[in-house]
Formats: sequence, C-alpha cells, structure tokens
Amino acid sequence: MRITCPHCGARDVQEFTYLGDASPSRPDGLEATEAAMFDYVYQRENPAGRHRELWYHGAGCHAWLTVTRDTRTHAIEAVEPTKRPKAGTAA
Amino acid sequence: MSTKQPFRTADGGLIDRTQPQSFRFDGTRYEGFAGDTLASALLANGVRLVGRSFKYHRPRGILSAGPEEPNALVELRAGARREPNTRATVTELYHGLEARSQNRWPSLAFDVLSINSLLGPALTAGFYYKTFMWPASFWEKLYEPLIRRAAGLGRAAGHEDPDHYEKAFAFCDVLVIGGGPAGLAAALAAGRTGARVILCDEDFRLGGKLLAEKREIDARASSEWIADTLAELAGMPDVRIMARSTVYGVYDHGIYGVIERVNDHLPIPPAHQPRQRSWRINAKRAVLAAGAIERPIVFAGNDTPGVMLAGAVRAYVNRHGVLPGREAVIFTSGDDGWATARDLAAAGARIAAIVDPRPQIDAGLTALASRIGARVLTGGVVSAASGGRALRQVTIRDASGREQTIACDLLAVSNGWNPTLHLTSHQNTRPVWDEAIHAFVPGQMPAGLSVAGSAAGRFSLAQALEDGARLGSQAAADCGFAPTVDAQPPKTDPEGVALAPVWRVKDGKGRSFRGKAFVDFQNDVTDKDVELAAREGFKPVEHLKRYTTLGMATDQGKTSNIAGLAIMAEQTGKTIPETGTTIFRPPYTPVAIGALAGHHRGQDFRPIRLTPTHQWSKDQGAVFVEAGLWLRAQYYPRPGENDWLVTVNREVLAVRNGVGLCDVSTLGKIDIQGADAAGFLERVYINGWKALPVGKARYGLMLREDGFVMDDGTTSRLAETHFVMTTTTANAAKVMQHLEFCHQVLWPDLDVRMVSVSEQWAQAAIAGPKAREVLRGVVDAQHDISNEAFPYLAAREITVGGGIPARLFRISFSGELAYELAVPADHGDAMMRALMAAGEPHGITPYGTEALGVMRIEKGHVAGNELNGQTTARDLGLGKMMSSKKDFIGRLMAGRDALVETGRPSFVGFKPVDPNQRLRAGAHFIGVGKPAVMEHDEGYMTSVAYSPNLKHWMGLGLLRNGASRIGERIRAVDPVRNGDIEVEICNPVFVDPEGARLHV
Amino acid sequence: MSDAATIPDADTIPDAARKLEWAPRGAWAELPADGHLGTPGAAGTTITARNGLGIASLIAAEGSDDALVQALKTRFGLDLPSTPLAVRSATHALVWAGPGQWLLVADDRSGFADDLQALSGLAAIAEQSDGRAALTLSGPKIRDALAKGCMIDLHPSVFPIGAAALTSIAHIGVHLWRVADGPDGAVFEIMVARSMAGSFWSWLSASVAEFGCTLAATGRG
Repeated sequence: MRITCPHCGARDVQEFTYLGDASPSRPDGLEATEAAMFDYVYQRENPAGRHRELWYHGAGCHAWLTVTRDTRTHAIEAVEPTKRPKAGTAA
Repeated sequence: MSTKQPFRTADGGLIDRTQPQSFRFDGTRYEGFAGDTLASALLANGVRLVGRSFKYHRPRGILSAGPEEPNALVELRAGARREPNTRATVTELYHGLEARSQNRWPSLAFDVLSINSLLGPALTAGFYYKTFMWPASFWEKLYEPLIRRAAGLGRAAGHEDPDHYEKAFAFCDVLVIGGGPAGLAAALAAGRTGARVILCDEDFRLGGKLLAEKREIDARASSEWIADTLAELAGMPDVRIMARSTVYGVYDHGIYGVIERVNDHLPIPPAHQPRQRSWRINAKRAVLAAGAIERPIVFAGNDTPGVMLAGAVRAYVNRHGVLPGREAVIFTSGDDGWATARDLAAAGARIAAIVDPRPQIDAGLTALASRIGARVLTGGVVSAASGGRALRQVTIRDASGREQTIACDLLAVSNGWNPTLHLTSHQNTRPVWDEAIHAFVPGQMPAGLSVAGSAAGRFSLAQALEDGARLGSQAAADCGFAPTVDAQPPKTDPEGVALAPVWRVKDGKGRSFRGKAFVDFQNDVTDKDVELAAREGFKPVEHLKRYTTLGMATDQGKTSNIAGLAIMAEQTGKTIPETGTTIFRPPYTPVAIGALAGHHRGQDFRPIRLTPTHQWSKDQGAVFVEAGLWLRAQYYPRPGENDWLVTVNREVLAVRNGVGLCDVSTLGKIDIQGADAAGFLERVYINGWKALPVGKARYGLMLREDGFVMDDGTTSRLAETHFVMTTTTANAAKVMQHLEFCHQVLWPDLDVRMVSVSEQWAQAAIAGPKAREVLRGVVDAQHDISNEAFPYLAAREITVGGGIPARLFRISFSGELAYELAVPADHGDAMMRALMAAGEPHGITPYGTEALGVMRIEKGHVAGNELNGQTTARDLGLGKMMSSKKDFIGRLMAGRDALVETGRPSFVGFKPVDPNQRLRAGAHFIGVGKPAVMEHDEGYMTSVAYSPNLKHWMGLGLLRNGASRIGERIRAVDPVRNGDIEVEICNPVFVDPEGARLHV
Repeated sequence: MSDAATIPDADTIPDAARKLEWAPRGAWAELPADGHLGTPGAAGTTITARNGLGIASLIAAEGSDDALVQALKTRFGLDLPSTPLAVRSATHALVWAGPGQWLLVADDRSGFADDLQALSGLAAIAEQSDGRAALTLSGPKIRDALAKGCMIDLHPSVFPIGAAALTSIAHIGVHLWRVADGPDGAVFEIMVARSMAGSFWSWLSASVAEFGCTLAATGRG
C-alpha cells in the first residue's frame, strides 16, 4: 500500500503505523463518565467499506493522519492531517 | 565425452556458436553455446531423461521451454551455492555450469523407488490421508520421514549462502510486464510519449514468443523488428529495460514485486555484485504482456521423455538451433501445432504424422503437410505414448477407433494456449471463461493494470502488436503524457488460430489399462485421481486441489489446472466455467528467501544502535546484550572471572561500597517546550507537574487510556516552559508516538512542542557513596554540587571539562547517592574516560545492565518485567501517585471495579525460606500444601536476582492481595525447571528501605 | 559529607588542560580511511563525511512564526520553507522537518551557539549537533545506489534541487535533501541518527560497492 501524506507526499505503508477508527473523540476532563470513556476506548465499528482511520507517519514527518480507506479494496479516498492549523494561520 | 552436440542443427538459432560453454549434468561433461538454456543444451546433446517424478519416480523429460516447466527441475550449482528445483528451461547456460537431477536414487537411469509406479493403487489421490492414518504417533517418527525421503524435490544447500542479495525500489509511469511483441510495442508507445517506462522480462533475451517463431513484421524478419525496437528504447533516457527480471506479484496501489536475477547466469557473482535483486516497483500504470502458456493433452504415457509441447519444440528449433527429435509426430487440436511441423521439417526432422482430432482442416495446412511429406490423420488422436526413458512409439487411434503405432522419438503436443493472466488475479479477482478461445481470460482488472496480446487471450501476432501500441499509449496518457502521432501498428504475416481443444484421450474400448495419463506432471496427478476425487465428493476446485495436490508445488499448476478442471467438469456434467477456477496468488514463479531478505541478514538483520560510549565500553572489556535495537554493556568481566555472576556481584558491591559508572545513554529523551508544557505533562502522567520547581526532577508514571501502565521515567524542569522527559529504553519510540497522538489528536490547542533528543546526549550514571567526589573531578568548578546546593532530585544545566555544556540530574536507580550526567554525544567517550580518571582513587568500577538490574531489584524498582502491559499503578504499589485533582490518560479506566479490587495480584518481594535456594523468574505462586494446578495459582515471579549484599536470592512478583500478606510463606512453583520452593513474602525494597543513602 | 575535603584539584587544573582530555569523538569515528571502496576503476559514487556541523531542531509556536521567519531572514538570509524543502546559504541550511518544524544546519559548529542564542525565544530550540551523522552523497550512480534502500522517488522530475524528505532507508530513519548539482550531477545531503550510523554505513557501503566509491573527509587519510 501507499499512503499520500499531505505533508510528505506518497509513501510506502511501511513508514506508517495504524491505530484505527478516527471517529471516537476522547471525553476529556474530570466530569467525563466511565461509561463514555469505556465507549471511547473499546467500542469500534468495523465496517466493510469506507472507514476513517488514524495513521501515524512515524518514519516521516511524525504527523497523525486521518485516512479514508475502503477496507475491502484498500482504495484510499482522502488523507488529511488530524491536527488542523488554527484558523487564519499558514501550515 | 563427445562435445559434438548431435542434435544441434547445422545453422540458425539465436545462439553464439563461437562461444562454446562447457557444463556438467549428473557429473557428465557436455558442451552447449552461449544463448542456450540448460534444457536446450541438454537436448542438443541428446539428453532427454532429466528427472524422476515426485511420487512414482517415473522418468521425465523436458516438456516446455519456459517458466511453466513441471518436469525438468534440477539442483543447480554445488556446495553452499546449490539451489534446488531450478527449472532447466529457464536456466541460462554458462561456462562451468553444474547441475544434478533430483529425486532419484541411486541414479537417474536406475531408480529404486520407481517401484512406486507399480504400487500405483496405494498412492492415488488422498493417499496421505488414507494410508498413514494410524497410529497417530507414527506420523512424526515414521511416516513423515519416510514420505519426505521418497517423495520430494531437490535438496537445499544446508550451508549459509555465500552470495549477497539486495533490495531495490523503482518508480515509473508505465511498467510493462513481458518483453514479447505486445510488451515491446507497449514500451515503445509509452516511451515515445516521454513517460518513464520500465520493461521487465523474465528471459535473458527480449522478444518473448517471437524468439521461438519465424515470423515477418512489415515484411521483414521479426528479429529485425525486435532489434530496431530495442535500439529505439535504449535511446530513451527514461526507459529502463530489465531482462532476467520476473514480475512475481501485484500489490495494492500499483506496487509490483520483481526478482532480477543479476548474476544467476554466472557461477559466482563478480565482486561487489549481488546474485539477485528484489525490486519493488511503484508504477502509476502497468501493461501486462506476459504471453500465454501452452496446454498439454492428457493421454496414456503423456509423460514419456520425448513428449513435448509443440510451441516449445519451435523454441528449441528456431531459437536454440536444436532438434528435440528426428522422427516427429505432431498431435494438435488447433492450427498452431502445424507450424511446429513446418519448422521441424525445415530444420531437417522427418514428420512421421500430423494427428489433428478436428474433422475439417484448413486447406492451406493440408497443403503444407504434403509439401513436407507428412501423413495427416484428421479426426484422430494419440491414445498412448511409450518407451520408458525415451519415447519410442505412439499409438494413434483414428476416427473409426482403429489403432496403429508409429515409431518416433518426438511427439509435439498442441492444445491451445492459456493466457498468462496470473498477475491479474493477485488482487483477488477471478479470471472468466471465454468460450470463443476455450480459455480463461482476465476478469476484473486491478486498478491501473491493462492486459495486452496473448495474456488477454488475443493470440495472434497482429493482435499483440496492436494491443501493445494501444495500451502502452493509453497508459502513458493516463499519466499525463500526450500520445505522439501514431504510426499504424506494423503488418504481420498471416497465421491460423483455429482451435478445438481435446482435454484428454480416454482408454480405448475394451482396453482397461494402458498406463498412467498425467494431468499434473509435477505432482504426479493422473486423470484417474481426478475421477477418484469426483467420486469421493471432492468436487469443488479448491477441494480437488487439496485432495489430489493438483496445481500445487513450484509450478502451481501452470500446465495442469485447466485439464484438471476439464476432467472434473466432464465427471460432474458441468461446463468448465461452472466447475470454476483457482485464483493465483503471488509469487508467479518461486522466489528465493534470500532475495526477499536482501541486505538484512546476519549482522544486518535489523539496525543495531550503539551508544556514544560504545567504544569505551569495548575498551573496558564489556560483554554486550541486545536491548531492543541497542547493544548495551551487560557486564565487564575482569581476567579470571569465569562466571558472569562473579562479575556482577563485584560490580554491585563496588557501587554499594564505593562508586560505579554505567552508560544510560539508551534511555529515551524527549525535549518538551511550550507555554502548556507543564499542563501537557499533567495530562499524560498520573502525578502532578505544575508545581515542580525549575531545576528539579520528578519520577513520573504514564498509563495507557485503558488504565494499564505504559511507561515510567524521570522528567526534569529546565525552565518554566522547558522539560526534558526520559523514557525507558524499550518504550522510547512508543512514548514519542503516544505523546504526538495526545498533542495532535487529543489536544491540538495546547502549545507544546516536542522533539526527541535521545541521540544528542550521552548519559552516564555515577552511583555509590563516592559518587560526588568523582563528579567533582569533572564538573567545572563554578558549579556547586554539594548536598545542600544540589540535593536529591536536583536537575540543572552545568558545564564540564572546561566549558562543555552538560546536564546533571541527581536521580538514582540503584538507591545509592547517584547522579546522571549528560553531555553532547561527541563528548560521551571523553566523559567516561574523564570519570574513570577522576574515580580511579576511589576504585570506580564500570557496571552493566546486569548489576543495574540486581540493584533495582534490591530497591524494589519496577522495570520492563513489571511494566508488562497487564499491571496498573495500584498493582505496582504506585496507586497513591494518581492525582485526583486532574484528568489524565487512563484515569477513568484505571478506576474500573476489576482494576481496583483488592484481590488483584500486587507487587511484593520474595525471599527463599532456605537462603541457599535459587529463585526463578516466571515461577507461579501456589499455597503451601496445595496442588500445583491453575485454580490455586496466585500470581507469578516477575524478576529475580542474587543479592551479593544480602547473600541470597531475592525476587519481585505479583501476588494476589500481596501487599497485605507480608511475612506469609508461599511456594514458588516452576514446573518447566522442576522448581518448587518455599518463599517468604516480604517488602519489595530489600536494601535501605528508608532511602537514607539517597540523601547523603 | 564535607565537600571541601574531597575536592582535590578541581580548581588547580587549568581549563585548557582539562579540555584536552575531552577529545570529541564524532559520529563517523568508525568510518574507514579516505580512499576507494568497491569495484575498482572510476568511482560511480562519492561519499563525503560531514563532521563538525551545528544542527538544531526549531519548532515554531503554532500561528506565531512571523518573528522566527524574520529572524532567520535577517541573520541567515534564508526563507523558512513551509513544504518539504531545504534552502541553503553559503554557510547555513534550513531544512523542513515536519509541519512547523525545521533543522537549522550550520556548516561549521563554531559560532552555532550564537546562532541559537539569536533565535532564543522565537522557537522551541533543541540542539542536535551530536545526534546526527551526516554525509554528502554524489556521483553519476548515486541514485542507483540509493535506490537499494530509499523508498521514495529521487528522479529529477520528482525530487528537484532543494527537495527534502524524511523517510527511512534499510529500516533506519533518514533526513535527505538535494542541494545544487556538482560536476557529477545530483548531490544529496543525508542525516541519520547517530546511534545507527554504523548500521547505515553497513548498508551504504554495500550499496555503493557495485559502482565503486570515493570516500572522503573522514578525517583519516
């Protein structure tokens, strides 16, 4: 597989580490509940098809990326930096 | 031995008759010419028997002239370079080549196990499953070794391969796979647009099937067209032609695996060159022009040496100038086989008969037959071939069922061609049946791949040239290269492609047993085996394959799959497409493991990391140990110390009683800056950081989000917004990734900026009561490191050696007065030597990871064995560190009921009741007097060491409800090493539990 | 414990004399001596060790790198690249090292402390001078040699002068960029982690051997 890092360009999948589903967001703060955290840590969809997932470009620019991939074909629809620049600033 | 090559034609062929090449086969010396394959050279010398079959040890000859060869497998080269299962048909002849036949004993001509042939009924399909069923214990000891000796392929060398292999990466717009007419046309069309093109061909000579043919292109010999095309391609700077290069696999996103046999055509690769190179080619588009593989016909004795594919016969005649026989019979179900008759006759062979099962034959073909004086039997079949080790005669059955025999030494068989579509199904798509050409053709194509010519089932030369030009141009256009003004595809001479395949010839009426008729030559699968599989219910193709082994082993059924399917279809009354097809997986042809490993073997299996003080450690006589990728000094034996424990005990006592020096450069070091740096640490560590004063270090523990411990280490505050974190050696990269995740994914708005500085700093631990005195000798005088000015957990930027920037941390893993001193890595070596010089009056002693480990166990510090991914902070006795005033990674999940229940195994120490007994890590704790079974398991020993201070073994471990059981006795049971000893549960801190030594 | 009694001569050793004992040992201390490697004849590749560089990571505070941009422009005449590029002056280079992150490279380490001082407060600065092993790679066959491990496309149409990349070669992380062409065509500068310099050399020396290689500036003639 090749993943086109938005910073570095097309790279071999060996340069990346897979994490998984990009959709859960961490329930931050002291007020977060155990149930919500449990869902965040363990509950994952495992779709056959379009999947937004986190990859880490560890052998490249160290960016965490959100990759939209078809799990059946490995076709990659989009790769975006997970960290978005604050409004009004250049990369 | 004669060198006159009796079956070499007088002239012709693409061989260099001025370059004779001497070689040996089974010890006998022969001669061939440059441009020969081993197979063509053997045939030129009249050698027809080249191997024994897998199961029945039947004599076998050369069937094909290409990579599909199932029979002519040899052991190539000798000694450490011996390579088994090499196909003679694609082995380029070189001077000094040495090959041996396989799977025969004691000799090829006389093989004891050919008696297996007579035991046929016992060795039919599924015989493994039926014969060797009982008793089970016999499998390992008797059956398997027996089977392995009797049925097998070649022998591996058994020595380390003396040659080296490489990996390589390439990029192109258009990859063309196959250098035949379609591939050459495709490369030319793409190359002319200016696209970057790579053309791979497995052969050592480009031209593909055209090399085997006498054809005309634009009214000139096809060889001239090949030469012109290659010359034009060679002039294009962005076109790379790779001969001897097999594209063996197609992977996601346009990645192609290629093996380049750089020096397999030489006995020993030249100095500094690899034997083979394993390429990974990244191509935006690819054109598959891999040609086609001819199909045999199943009939009795069809494996007799001298029975050969008709296209292969043409290759030997036209390309190699070899007559595979002098008296030939042609058995062809299509027009293509007639060309073999023509070319054989032109080369001087006599064509005894042309047998074509079709009732009607094109008049041009019959005219050809009369021109060359060949009998024609239309509507007839060859029903048997015989002769044992060399073909002597064939039996022909005419349309009325009458049989006659014809003497001959060559039977050329033609039954149409299968497109070489293997690569199209590597992405899991199935070929589809094309009734018009009686063959499977590529189904849905992998993205970016198109198929040209014979590989697409378009078998004529005109179609190959047309497809190649069109698809090569299209592929380049897809990459943004405008097509050039296109010349019309060249014109070719006419050819016939009509075909009515015959899959097998059954025994004649009333003839019960004529001999075996083979479907799969390499695996000795006969038509009867396929019938048996059908009768026993193994009808789906995947079952057929596994039950009969049809299509397995090195050739993966290249010549057999289709006939196997056809016979199964006939048995089940279905059509071939209804019966199915197997899909192909990489590799297309066998790939040497060495080529896949490339540079990465032995010392280079993976990178090795060396610390900046490695040379110093070597000079001190260190024994090194692998710790992840690092080599770390394990201990420093002195002359006369023959037991590592003696050395380690000395090192431990030296630290506890004087001073020791240890390289700790391998610890991960992460520079963390930014306005929110302290707040960030609060979120990733369980304990508090905002109140840590500048100039101080603190022990930190981090959890995974699921509440289990991830890593620990000390982090120091160098300035208000500047920290340096240390991680364990093992987890340095993992922690960096985790912190980047926390920053980029969880809390992108925090101003925190991180970079690894692990490589920048050489770091040494100076530990022991005399540590400060030693340090005083290297730290520049203006820095006050007295206990008052630089107390326990102080962390400051200082200078050493007269102005060299350094960082000094008063932290201790050993429990002694200790410091860690970090200097820029270039100064690491000098730092160690300076510390040794400064410590000489105090008997400073280098110590390694073993002594470090002993002392941390003496102090009850957790390390890798305890930070094993299954322990919580509470389990390790560190639960009190968890702040309740802030959120941090792992906080909520660590609070789950099951992780806080008091019965969980928790961290305690152990000492043997009998102080002379040795403890073992991994031993499980079982109550005294209870049976050593799972239900009484109460935890296990994680770490043990011998304490030279306590003079007995000590252990750390995780014991159910451990912290409240101090003073109890329990058994440490180690069934693997027959250990079962009584231990006392104790405080995990064995030495200086008050920590007084830290603060002196 | 009394410190006064146990400081024997720290103050009496002159700094200069003490410094002599602290001879630095660079990342390439184990390289073979200057000369020819591999296949005899005209060398297809050239490897030049780069010793004594000043190297530092600069990480900008997000959204506020204007002052950093200006300072770099003023002091070095270099524009901070926002994409994978390396820009070079006669003495310094700025190399993209990830989003918002760069390496400042000084050809000569003396004076580098002043360089960093000048940038103090404008970026998170971490010195890496000792943590990287650097080489210059050139020669007509250098791309063929690099192709034996480099998983990115170095064709001039894709990797022009000034292009930079963070990638890995032979499982070793590398920072690679292309500088102005030399007499033999493309010239690359490359850095690897110091701890892996030996393993990287093992791969590199094996990979260039086929083409012949001139090794220079190792400090051993």
